[in-house]
Amino acid sequence: MDFNVLSLLIWVPVAGAAVVVGLPRRRAELVIPVAFALSVLTLGLAGYLVFEFEGADGGFQFVEKTAIWSDLGIDYHLGVDGISLFLVALTAFLFPIGILASVNIELRPKEFMAALLLLEGALIGVFLALDLVLFFVFFEVLLVPMYFLIGMWGGERRLDAALKFFLYTALGSAFLLVGIVFLSAQANQQLGSPTFNYLELLDLDISRTAQYWLFGAFGIAFAIKVPLFPFHTWLPDAHTEAPTAGSVILAGVLLKMGTYGFLRFNLSLFPEATVQLATFLAALAVVGIIYGAAVAIVQPDLKRLVAYSSVSHLGFVVLGIFALTSQGVSGGVIQMVNHGLTTGALFLLVGMIYERRHTREISAYGGIQKVMPWFAGFFLFTAFASAGLPGLNGFVGEFLILLGSYSRHPALTIIAAFGVLLAAVYLLWAYERVFTGEPDKEENKALTDIGMREIGILVPMVALIIMLGIYPKPVLDRIEPAVERVIDRIEQQTDFQSPLRIDDIALDDEEVTP
Amino acid sequence: MTEISYLAIGPVIALTLGVVLVLLVEVTYKPKVTWLGAIAALSLLAGFALSVAQWIEASDDPIIRFRGMLALDPFAAFGSVVLTVLGAVALLVAWPLIVIQGRRAAEFIALVLLSLTGMILMAGAAHFIMLFLALEVTSISLYVLAGFARDNADSNEASVKYFLLGSFASAVFLYGVALSYAATGSLSLYGAAEFLNENLLLDSASLLAGIGLLIVGLAFKVSAAPFHMWAPDVYQGAASGVSGFMTAGAKVAGFAALARVAVTSYGPYISDWAPAVAVIAAISVVVGTMLAIAQSDIKRMLAYSSIAHAGFILTGLVAGIDGVPYVWFYVVTYAFQVLGAFAVVSVVSGPAGTRSPLTDYAGLAQRAPVLAGSLALLMFSMGGIPLTAGFLSKLYVFREAVDAGYLWLVVVGAVASVAGLFFYLRVIVLMYMNPQSEEGGVGETRVGDPLRVALTAVAVITLAFGIVPGPLLDVVTSALPL
Repeated sequence: MDFNVLSLLIWVPVAGAAVVVGLPRRRAELVIPVAFALSVLTLGLAGYLVFEFEGADGGFQFVEKTAIWSDLGIDYHLGVDGISLFLVALTAFLFPIGILASVNIELRPKEFMAALLLLEGALIGVFLALDLVLFFVFFEVLLVPMYFLIGMWGGERRLDAALKFFLYTALGSAFLLVGIVFLSAQANQQLGSPTFNYLELLDLDISRTAQYWLFGAFGIAFAIKVPLFPFHTWLPDAHTEAPTAGSVILAGVLLKMGTYGFLRFNLSLFPEATVQLATFLAALAVVGIIYGAAVAIVQPDLKRLVAYSSVSHLGFVVLGIFALTSQGVSGGVIQMVNHGLTTGALFLLVGMIYERRHTREISAYGGIQKVMPWFAGFFLFTAFASAGLPGLNGFVGEFLILLGSYSRHPALTIIAAFGVLLAAVYLLWAYERVFTGEPDKEENKALTDIGMREIGILVPMVALIIMLGIYPKPVLDRIEPAVERVIDRIEQQTDFQSPLRIDDIALDDEEVTP
Repeated sequence: MTEISYLAIGPVIALTLGVVLVLLVEVTYKPKVTWLGAIAALSLLAGFALSVAQWIEASDDPIIRFRGMLALDPFAAFGSVVLTVLGAVALLVAWPLIVIQGRRAAEFIALVLLSLTGMILMAGAAHFIMLFLALEVTSISLYVLAGFARDNADSNEASVKYFLLGSFASAVFLYGVALSYAATGSLSLYGAAEFLNENLLLDSASLLAGIGLLIVGLAFKVSAAPFHMWAPDVYQGAASGVSGFMTAGAKVAGFAALARVAVTSYGPYISDWAPAVAVIAAISVVVGTMLAIAQSDIKRMLAYSSIAHAGFILTGLVAGIDGVPYVWFYVVTYAFQVLGAFAVVSVVSGPAGTRSPLTDYAGLAQRAPVLAGSLALLMFSMGGIPLTAGFLSKLYVFREAVDAGYLWLVVVGAVASVAGLFFYLRVIVLMYMNPQSEEGGVGETRVGDPLRVALTAVAVITLAFGIVPGPLLDVVTSALPL
């Protein structure tokens, strides 16, 4: 088949947003079905992409390139590789779920759905863009729908949270923009013409000092997005105040823009600086892992607990990336997908219970597994996945990350491993307080268990969690060639030698022990 | 000697005729105000057509006319195209204000056209005396427009303040001209350039002092910090219907004049004046942004934000002739944005109103979706969010400044632009996320047809050039001074 699947992935949701806004007022009942259908169509396109993707090829595929503002060297340039492939798929997967989870929105459902679809298009654009200006445009534009999602449909303190979210990320973007502009000025000097083309910028010869500055400029933008300790302070507020679909998308995909940015831009464009700063960033990541987990333990608010757990989990991803080994980076990529699924599911579950009781205080609950057995089952399952129980997806990613980073940062890795332990503590302790025992509060006795729609939302997520936990090979096979290229590039550009290559250990071989 | 070319002053003649006709028709027939508007529209249309003719003529054969007084080059032609369109949109915005002026409407229209005449001459002046005259025609018309509501204390204050400080700036400008003349022996912009190209000055002190004073005088007119003190009071004190025009027109004309003087006359001395411009740019961006955050009145906020934008535009100018196209791009798109923003303000505060507290905008999205939508778009654009002209403008000027070696200025600009988002977003939050205040609909929300047309035009310009900047870029890259 010959069609521009990448463009469609971006523009179908964006056009969908326009369609939803254009629906006549008196046909308000069409809003959700239309939005859902369009997001499913996008998911279909993503599915097509995953199946047609040539797994052994580590380069960019399905590349589309048209010069838009040629005198400035800005192109409409898209492409997908093993690193971005599953992030696109994850995005396309989470949006239909987010829409289904929001069918009870009462305030301006039309605008809500339009904002979601716009967000989807921009997010996919971020992962597909191979032109730095195009990347920046998507990166910035998606702040607008997200800002409205938090600010209009959020919880009680939504205004503060929305503003904090916007300003924090925009601050990072400012540095990113300066970095991009500076990089293009370098290209202008070295290549004779201005360009923002990622592939051409890879050929630049950037001095070591400039690499540090650029690494910093890009790094701050991405570190805020991840969020890496100490840039995480916007996250708990934004996650907690956002509506359920917003939290799912925020945690599920938005945060990955940061880790993806590190992997795509910092590692490849500034290899020298990457090698020098890897330990520093890994240390920050480990601080985040422990700090996020420790703070999560003491949260009285269930949603904040999940939010802080994201800080911890994303710390693992960053640790994996800056291990600069194939296992670590591959683990980081797959952990991005895992975290999107498990944390997305946790936010959905918190949203479901909040819809019934209108409180997220852990102390307001107790013993509700008696009245909501299905709900309790799903919650426990997801908590196990999030805590990294072997056989479920979280284990695969965390194991690979710890394996990959041990050879390079042994001390840090040992500390990070305690994060896995703490995850079990905060999740299971929360489970204990909310679900076990006798329902002693009157309001809790009247709770109804989740219905078919809600189970329908959760089942696909559970299925993927199990699938990725038991048989991650097809996914890893597609990720690894692209990751290998990144590592190879770092080795060519610097005197760095990756301690372990993927060929040294066969991952699917049972005899291997770390 | 040069023969007389009427094309070089075509737009000026058209607008001046408009001024005369409006005033004469008013005293002889006392017609309905619509007729006066029609005359103004016709003269603007004629001015626009002649500007386009200038463009066509000048792009092949740019030339200096009127014994070295006026340039007939793409730069001047583009300036007058933009200014005539801006004038037309501004009259649409000001229409409700004009209508309530009763018998003074003719004076108002005449003043707008007259100030436009001055602005067009500012963009085309090739001689310092011509430039000074154009500056004064513009400024004096604007002083009167600022205080047009004679019985309003705020407007009186605005007018007097504008007049006093404006005259002071004109004097500084003149002093700069005198010093520059002393150093180069020429009052022609091009004569000065020729002299500087051919001779090496043994002592450049008086020239540099002259350039400095010239820049200060013009920086005052475009309200760049630290010469901005008048701007917030004047834009707030002027009737809302006309503040937008005052901001936008003064910016376009002022930057046109500044760009031409800087890159043609003193082009050889760029390494001397560019750092000074960069410092003014940085101060403007920081001061404008910081003070805008503290405002509780939207007109003052827009005034401070316009100071910050003046800084961003100056950021493009540090690159000299290479930056001129992007200075144009920025100032043109910004002029329409600020005009549109004040247009919305003029509805909410009433066309003759002077104060417009931010609280009036709470819940505006429910009362007036069109107004709120337009203002939100403009806020996003001024804040520099992609897919709007405001983002590309910033990207272009930043790129030029980095190329010219002013990375520090770009860092200051980028950080300030983020801080700026704070107050742009606050307006959006108020309009969309705050419930309507208890007293109910504060402020008027009816949008008349002229205003609707103007807002549509502004929105189209902001979005179209934000997504497809190509056509405008093609034009501005050839809109260079001779």
